[in-house]
Amino acid sequence: MIRKIYISLANRSMQETMVNRTSFILNIGASFLIILSSYYLWKAIFAGRDQLGGFSWEEMKAYLIISFLSNTILSYFSEVKISQKILDGSIAFDLLKPIDFQKARLAETVGSSVFEGLVSVVLAFLFLFLYEGVAVPESPITWVFFIISFILSQTVKYGVIYIFSIFCFWTTGFLGVALARAAVTSLFSGALIPLSYFPSTLQKICTILPFSSIVHYPISIYLERMDNIEILGIIGLQAFWAIALWFFGKWFWSQAVKKITINGG
Amino acid sequence: MSIIEVRELTKVFRQPVKGPGLAGAFKHLFTQKYVEKRAVDNIHFSIDEGEVVAYVGPNGAGKSTTIKMLSGILIPTSGHVSVNGLIPHKQRMENARSIGVVFGHRTQLWPDIPVLESLTLIKDMYDISSEDFKKRMDFFVELLGMSDFLHVTARKLSLGQRMRADLAAALLHEPRIVYLDEPTIGLDVAVKQQVRSFIKKINREKQTTIILTTHDLGDIEELCKRLIIIDKGQIIFDGPLESVTDQYARERVLHFQVMERVENPRQYLQGLPGCRLEEKSDTHFSVYFDKTLLSASDIVSRFLGAANIIDFKIDEPKIDDVIKHVYEGKLHLDPREESV
Repeated sequence: MIRKIYISLANRSMQETMVNRTSFILNIGASFLIILSSYYLWKAIFAGRDQLGGFSWEEMKAYLIISFLSNTILSYFSEVKISQKILDGSIAFDLLKPIDFQKARLAETVGSSVFEGLVSVVLAFLFLFLYEGVAVPESPITWVFFIISFILSQTVKYGVIYIFSIFCFWTTGFLGVALARAAVTSLFSGALIPLSYFPSTLQKICTILPFSSIVHYPISIYLERMDNIEILGIIGLQAFWAIALWFFGKWFWSQAVKKITINGG
Repeated sequence: MSIIEVRELTKVFRQPVKGPGLAGAFKHLFTQKYVEKRAVDNIHFSIDEGEVVAYVGPNGAGKSTTIKMLSGILIPTSGHVSVNGLIPHKQRMENARSIGVVFGHRTQLWPDIPVLESLTLIKDMYDISSEDFKKRMDFFVELLGMSDFLHVTARKLSLGQRMRADLAAALLHEPRIVYLDEPTIGLDVAVKQQVRSFIKKINREKQTTIILTTHDLGDIEELCKRLIIIDKGQIIFDGPLESVTDQYARERVLHFQVMERVENPRQYLQGLPGCRLEEKSDTHFSVYFDKTLLSASDIVSRFLGAANIIDFKIDEPKIDDVIKHVYEGKLHLDPREESV
């Protein structure tokens, strides 16, 4: 049973995101420009080739769309919000409320993501419409697996964002933390380039780390690279990371709170 | 029955010390030295249900540290705190249900959504029924005059509106104990008055226990019967307000700005008891007087015919001055002797 307060928090957060639409649109516009430029970059690379490192051009286009979705759905707003709370000290109010901090932030993130996600999906379909010849899975069961996997991937991403945000207790600005988070995530998740282009040792390391659950695995499912047993294994792994990061975040938060409650804000 | 019990409460912070200049900053990268700062040093007090207590002291005296320990967001180094039968830092969430906090410098409202939306969020946070919510909102809206900004986003509120909205937000769940940290800072006279009478009414009708930190003597005089003064982490006075104000805070200063120099202005004060005059410049002089003996109009009327007055204003003593005097030993305060 979800307490009503968490639904209300999601609702208020959605409202705020809509009010802050200028910064949101700028942000999503920037992501869209990046995806466009990588589209043309990859197009040049694929010129005169059918395949590169196991990807066809059609698959690559699908890859770009999915990594765009993954980059934008859970983004700027939720990330900045947690860090800001810590840095400007308004976290004192959160400590004085009879609700769980981590769940409250998740509720807010979900709230803003519903709106942000909707816009991203519209943009993704626009992309699909403008640039034809994008690989689309045929089997409906693949779609089902993909959607489950994608939702799990966003949960994992939230876990990463949450943990990184808590680092703000030890820093004085959030930009460094957010950039570090983005750099690490996009490199190791496969958002920047497919993991299969990495040297094999690095690939192995990536598959151990939680980041590959964010982009690499959902795309692998989408491109139908695996049989159903493997897919279930992947979904299990993603679920494991989502839960593990949640509990790590909880523990990390309690340590951080101990630190501020002992040393003051 | 006391609702707040504080015994031997101490909070020690470790503060990093950095040597001067670039060299000091560089050294600090590798070896961190710390000094211990006793923000709160072995304090005792107990507060009864329904009391309104002013908790005052100069900046950095340990007021906020104490409030933070009482509300559970700071863990004491040693000593004992009990609020409403709970140990705040151990039972922070339970404690949160029975306390309300207003930080005058901060807001808990969401900046970009209407005030009412922030308040309904708090309704859900404390599981307040719609019926109670409506009743309490009507009460707040009427007493705090909130009807014209309930639908405005918090970012667009004036300071006075924001403070009233924050008061409503902190009191919506009818906490038994309220900590108000400078609730009237920066407010104009009308709003200040509104806030004060609101606090008074809440205390009277709901028996809410209120702990108030402020630098505004007016707040204290109007609201509190009891005063606790803390300085350098130690409580230097705990007793009835009158014993402080009767002695020190009687003095008022009336500043006159005049068009041209007044010859021997002292002559006009003849016959008025307990006042003295100081000439600050040719066109500015000040009269110090005892408010229990004279009123400002007594003095102003003496000068009306004699001087061409451009402007005058009254300085009330700041509570910080009172505290300073108490601490410097200029004022002897012992409530047991005084309250005869």
